[in-house]
Amino acid sequence: MPQSTVLPPGVSAADFKSALRAFAQVVGEQWVLASDEDRHSYLDAFAPGDADQHASSAGIAPQSTEEVQAVVKIAAGYGIPLWPVSSGRNLAYGGSAPVLRGSVVLDLRRMNRVLEINEQLGYALVEPGVTFFALFDALQAAGGKLWISTPAPGWGSVIGNALEHGVGYTPYGVHADTICGMEVVLADGEVVRTGMGAVQGSKEWQAFKYGYGPVWDLMFTQSNFGVVTKMGVWLMPQPEAVANYAISVPDYRDLAVLVDTLRPLRLNDTINADYTIQNPFRSVMDELSMQGKTRETIYAGAGSLPMDLITRELKARNRGMWSVGFNLFDSDKGLDLREAAIREAFSRVPGSKLQTHRWHRGEPMESWMRVTPALAPLAGVDWYGGPGGHINFAPVIAPIGERVTQLYEAIYKRFIEYGIDYYCGLLNIGRRALVVNAVTFFNRDNAEMTRKGRELYRVLAKDGAALGYGDYRAHISFMDDIAAMYGYNDHALRRLNERIKDALDPKGILAPGKQGIWPAGLRGAAAAKRGSHT
Amino acid sequence: MKSRLALWALLCLSAGACGADQLTPAQAKGKQAYDHICIYCHSPGVWGTNRLARRMDKDHAVLENRTDLTAAGIRAVVRAGIGSMPPLRRTELSDADVDAIAAYLTRPRSLEQ
Repeated sequence: MPQSTVLPPGVSAADFKSALRAFAQVVGEQWVLASDEDRHSYLDAFAPGDADQHASSAGIAPQSTEEVQAVVKIAAGYGIPLWPVSSGRNLAYGGSAPVLRGSVVLDLRRMNRVLEINEQLGYALVEPGVTFFALFDALQAAGGKLWISTPAPGWGSVIGNALEHGVGYTPYGVHADTICGMEVVLADGEVVRTGMGAVQGSKEWQAFKYGYGPVWDLMFTQSNFGVVTKMGVWLMPQPEAVANYAISVPDYRDLAVLVDTLRPLRLNDTINADYTIQNPFRSVMDELSMQGKTRETIYAGAGSLPMDLITRELKARNRGMWSVGFNLFDSDKGLDLREAAIREAFSRVPGSKLQTHRWHRGEPMESWMRVTPALAPLAGVDWYGGPGGHINFAPVIAPIGERVTQLYEAIYKRFIEYGIDYYCGLLNIGRRALVVNAVTFFNRDNAEMTRKGRELYRVLAKDGAALGYGDYRAHISFMDDIAAMYGYNDHALRRLNERIKDALDPKGILAPGKQGIWPAGLRGAAAAKRGSHT
Repeated sequence: MKSRLALWALLCLSAGACGADQLTPAQAKGKQAYDHICIYCHSPGVWGTNRLARRMDKDHAVLENRTDLTAAGIRAVVRAGIGSMPPLRRTELSDADVDAIAAYLTRPRSLEQ
């Protein structure tokens, strides 16, 4: 892991050394993580190219809000950019690596306390270092009456995932919607509690999101306006029963009818958790990956996996071209009513097949319920052989069959053009939206493959914007590209973000470049860089 | 390998003194950490195990069954990562836990050797 010394931009080696000494006085010598080994551990493990472009200069790991305040003040004094991470497991989006090379990673993983579990009101108050595994364990130890909503995979942070607008597969699956009350350290070190938390001695911090006046919580998600040090998260009371549904449709042209059949069922909450539609490639690739197999098992040719091969593979397994999976959470009787409506709707879709099974309270939990955190979905990363990685182009689209088909096909054409296998899931997020999650897998040892993947991503971002779409999330290498998709009124949204950035963080200490929001001092360089990527 | 493990299990049952309850405190701590962290990718049938089966062979796929691991090797892989396995940072897995995991995975298994 040889690395050259990396310094924060514009900071001398002597000043950096002195800053590290000051950080050590706050967090303790052992939590200033500046060795080669430590800095290597903050690199993007799934980097689509040279991970060193996003190398940090060090990590600093405070254990309390007070320590975060002190670290932020020192950083401001030296002009050192901080890149806050909760668990640093934002894999496929940069892991724990910063946008701006030389930033110091503010590693909050040691702030790992579950501060409160409230079964009466169904919430937990957690610190950033609490992972889904840890909260799951804490809830189980408390009796298991509350369930988490976990993303796939589950070793990330509960706070981090909600802040990045991650999703899960229960009625609480839109994780940003489950945020209720935050404690935030601002760039000047001031601590703010949002919502009812601003009332001295309030017991309603996690019961009511809105408090009084403007609601700030979401401003601190996908942004660089503050460091979230505590967050309330609403949790689902354990249901009486859970039912799993796998529905397939036979023909390649059935995507639109599938989307249009699901839409009203999701809108009226018959389907009360987010669903995932798998494209034909994903169905086959997932099955092989979970068995530990790679691409060469079915195809040795160059270019994108051919559709006729995938069609044959699915036929051989007696599977439909498209399949959707979701879980419902209710009483047994409630599930019966929901299922009747679903069966009735799909009875009008020729050739559709429905498989279902249930879990009842008291039975051991099963992996298909997707409420137990797991890492199994990472299996796909080795599709092109290891060491693997992936990036996700994920535009938001309303679930209107014709439009979804049009966007899906536009992305598919580009995947064929670039010779990359079209692994795609249409992920439902809430009652009114999907993201077309087009995943580019690559072998990190293959420079040409990663270059093509980056190029494809940037072409898709331009295509998507031209068609009127924007992504919901981005890898650190592409945050400017996705911000550029949001171009209404000559990028008025970017300028609003910049105004807020300038007001809250005039020195530009917190996460420069996150979500394409640059502090004033780096704005010119960022603008010059836009459009010059390779 | 399979039959050897079965024989080992049988001997353990009859002797009543093998397995987890015979671990030293450091090894037991390591098993606890292993079960808490490593197991998600390294239990039979999942990603890390499948990857090892492909890269090496079936007998080297399940880490807990291996007798050829060294403490230094384990520490290096945990901290630096290998292949598609990301490094584990000191803030998420302490040096003491890595040492304990290494102690557990390199524990002497006389009946197998």
